[in-house]
Amino acid sequence: MAPASAVTLSTQCNVLLRAAAVTVDYPGVRALERVSLDFRASEIHAIVGENGAGKSTLMQVLSGAREPTEGNVVRDGVAVRFSRPSDAIRHGIAMVHQELNLVETLSVAQNISLGREPTRCCGLLIDRARQHNRARDLLAALGSEVNPTQKISKLSIAQAQCVEIAKCIATDARVLIFDEPTAALGASESARLLALLRQLRGEGRAILFVSHHLDEVIAVADRVSVLRDGRLVNAFERDHNGVLRGSDRSQADEGTLARAMVGRELGSIYPCKGHATNAGVAIELVNFGARGRSRDLSLAVRAGEIVGVAGLIGSGRTESAEAIVGLRDRDGVVRIGGHAVRFASVRAAMRGSVVYVSEDRKSKGLHTSLSSRVNMTLPSLDATTHFGGLWVDDKAQRAVTARWIRALEIRCAKPEQPIAALSGGNQQKVALARWLETKPKVLIIDEPTRGVDVGAKAEIYAIIARLAGEGLACIVISSELPELIGIAHRVIVMRGGTIAGELSREQLAATDCEERIMRLASGVMQLKESA
Amino acid sequence: MNRRLVDRLRAAQAFLQQWGVVVAFAILFAVSTAKQGFDFFNAENFRALLNSNAPVGILAVGMTLVIISGGIDLSVGSMVVLAAALGVTSMNALIDGSTSELNAVLIGGAVTVLCGVGAGSINGVLIVFGRIAPFIATLGGLAAFRSMSLAVADAGEIRSQSATLFCALGRGGIPLPGLENAAGKPLTLSYSTVIFFALAAIAQWMLSRARFGRHLIAVGANETAACYAGLPIAWVRFRVYAIMGLCAGIAALVQSSRMNSVSTAQLGLGSELDAIAAVVIGGTTLRGGFGRVWGTVIGVLILGMITNILTISGVSPYWQGAVKGGVIVLAVLVQRGSRDSM
Repeated sequence: MAPASAVTLSTQCNVLLRAAAVTVDYPGVRALERVSLDFRASEIHAIVGENGAGKSTLMQVLSGAREPTEGNVVRDGVAVRFSRPSDAIRHGIAMVHQELNLVETLSVAQNISLGREPTRCCGLLIDRARQHNRARDLLAALGSEVNPTQKISKLSIAQAQCVEIAKCIATDARVLIFDEPTAALGASESARLLALLRQLRGEGRAILFVSHHLDEVIAVADRVSVLRDGRLVNAFERDHNGVLRGSDRSQADEGTLARAMVGRELGSIYPCKGHATNAGVAIELVNFGARGRSRDLSLAVRAGEIVGVAGLIGSGRTESAEAIVGLRDRDGVVRIGGHAVRFASVRAAMRGSVVYVSEDRKSKGLHTSLSSRVNMTLPSLDATTHFGGLWVDDKAQRAVTARWIRALEIRCAKPEQPIAALSGGNQQKVALARWLETKPKVLIIDEPTRGVDVGAKAEIYAIIARLAGEGLACIVISSELPELIGIAHRVIVMRGGTIAGELSREQLAATDCEERIMRLASGVMQLKESA
Repeated sequence: MNRRLVDRLRAAQAFLQQWGVVVAFAILFAVSTAKQGFDFFNAENFRALLNSNAPVGILAVGMTLVIISGGIDLSVGSMVVLAAALGVTSMNALIDGSTSELNAVLIGGAVTVLCGVGAGSINGVLIVFGRIAPFIATLGGLAAFRSMSLAVADAGEIRSQSATLFCALGRGGIPLPGLENAAGKPLTLSYSTVIFFALAAIAQWMLSRARFGRHLIAVGANETAACYAGLPIAWVRFRVYAIMGLCAGIAALVQSSRMNSVSTAQLGLGSELDAIAAVVIGGTTLRGGFGRVWGTVIGVLILGMITNILTISGVSPYWQGAVKGGVIVLAVLVQRGSRDSM
């Protein structure tokens, strides 16, 4: 065979999976419009776009969860038709979902071989030894130290994710689809996951990587495709010098990608910080702690101040916030406006003007099956009821809803429809609205932009800055350091359940602040500081 | 497939999800009318349908609230028999003890209703504070309450000592002007029907217009989120079981007064399943967080009409359960949508 044709053949074979002019229509809206993409072996292909751009629909089509209205999925040069995810898995395409598909009550090894258990005695018994060994080998290859006999419910999110990846590899998946794999991970765990992606690429697999974190995309992707309103609007490719370049050969950075995603010029996504305030202390913690999770937290936040809380997952940030508003047992003292208080419940905290917006919108922060109106007026329901709770005033509720939709620029066509249909950013605004309606003096907001696209992020930052300007004391817990540095007046860093350090406004302005926070969070700087 | 056809099918499904129970009621009504000529379409028949299904209807109203809260109550049939047994027993004791009949009847009635509330509160305490799953806690009640009432009467019948007064509630009614039955007597709207409709109206109003209903829906839709929103979850859930008990007590009063006796082995037997079936047919989801009392009322009437039609058509009572079961499954299938695929 002539060498030239061999080359063509190999480049063709290189394309493991192809979306060929895929169009998907939902009732009344076209989610994808003739999108064509190639996924090659030994390549990480990132797909970026705002929420609603069509990323999820594309992943559903490729992983067999949805059939395209028009167009094809081509696997190894052959058009295939998937009517369910198991069809895709049979063709070597597996998806690692954002919400992991693991059975909590089964062990790691049982999960990895779920549905394909190795058997003995003519299929009557599960071969536990082989099951265990296979899981151990797969996990070892992924560099995970998880014990195969451990129950899933005992694992951290990062560990469970590793198990999910092992499960996909156990099906001999050649194409792996990752849907926002780092969304629930801390910085060091994210770094490990990205290393794992590179390893999987090195094994000759095709990786499809979807993430809102553009820095990660720039760091690992060999190819970046940008979706906007269901169309492929831009593509970037890494050249042989390892530089990501657009079709016009210009070098791509986060700004380039963000502009391509939103289709307009984005200024800085962070609002300008207001001046440090001399107002009175709104909330003060003295040796406070969530029992068993955190301790010795002492912190005073003034009205109008934004205090960022950094730290790794598991450093006790969320638990401490939950303890403040009465969701957990606690030690120590909380003072509101100088008076020591002890909130027995969320309701008591709310009456004491302290509210907490949960990091977990779907299962804790909101009722996704209920409407915007019901969600926004739920904690403050007493304000819109008459006659001792016997009459809920719908008119007043609609007015409240309309007011917040306007104030927070919530894009929701029908306030009476379940909010499950809203984008992450708009859901977050509804979650914020339900608490702002209780007229708090202290707002604790946990991961305010998790699963929120870049345009809505900027809006949420502006809202937080505006609220602080109006005199609200804000405590912002976040795993995204640029976000904390961008909006907080000062940042405290937690490690192992207590405060490891604090960065002042001046320190946040310095170029090395991100590194300093990481060191404090991971404990590297401890010796140096005490010296 | 033809996209227009798909869209139409989707629209039809959405319509049935919302209004299927009304459509089913209309069809059954038409079938009944066709079957019996315009005989069925007379007020007497309708009166009898409402009257005989009122006790299960009263239970189903309470059950709707319980199911919306994300729970279930299997003990309602046993609560009915226990409340009725204790109520009639205490009434008899008072009559024997030379209390005036009126006072005895009033006190006996109050005991019946309070016993229901008490039994419901026990369920509530076990579920909310004992953290026992509603299914298990009320399964215990199903066995225990029935057994207590059997013990009280030695598994026999407790006859009321009040000759005419006690049964006035269960047998009497409000005369409807201008309507007569075949015998030429004025037609009455029975008190039990009035109580059923009044309770349904109150429950529907609580659900859609009162704070309690809003809390109930929020707790049923997502209890964790309700907790994070600062709702008094324990109090909401306790109250819903106490209200269920109240409904059971009222149903017990209606039943025992109608019979003027309590058969401890028979009364309320299996009515928990009829009540749950009516709720499900009415479009309330078993997962909680969504429901409607008016749907339950139609569900009760649908179940009643099916029995009615089958009896008149001469279908063996042994087969009626199979038909009812089929209807329940069909109702869930039709009303299942993308919103609740469970």
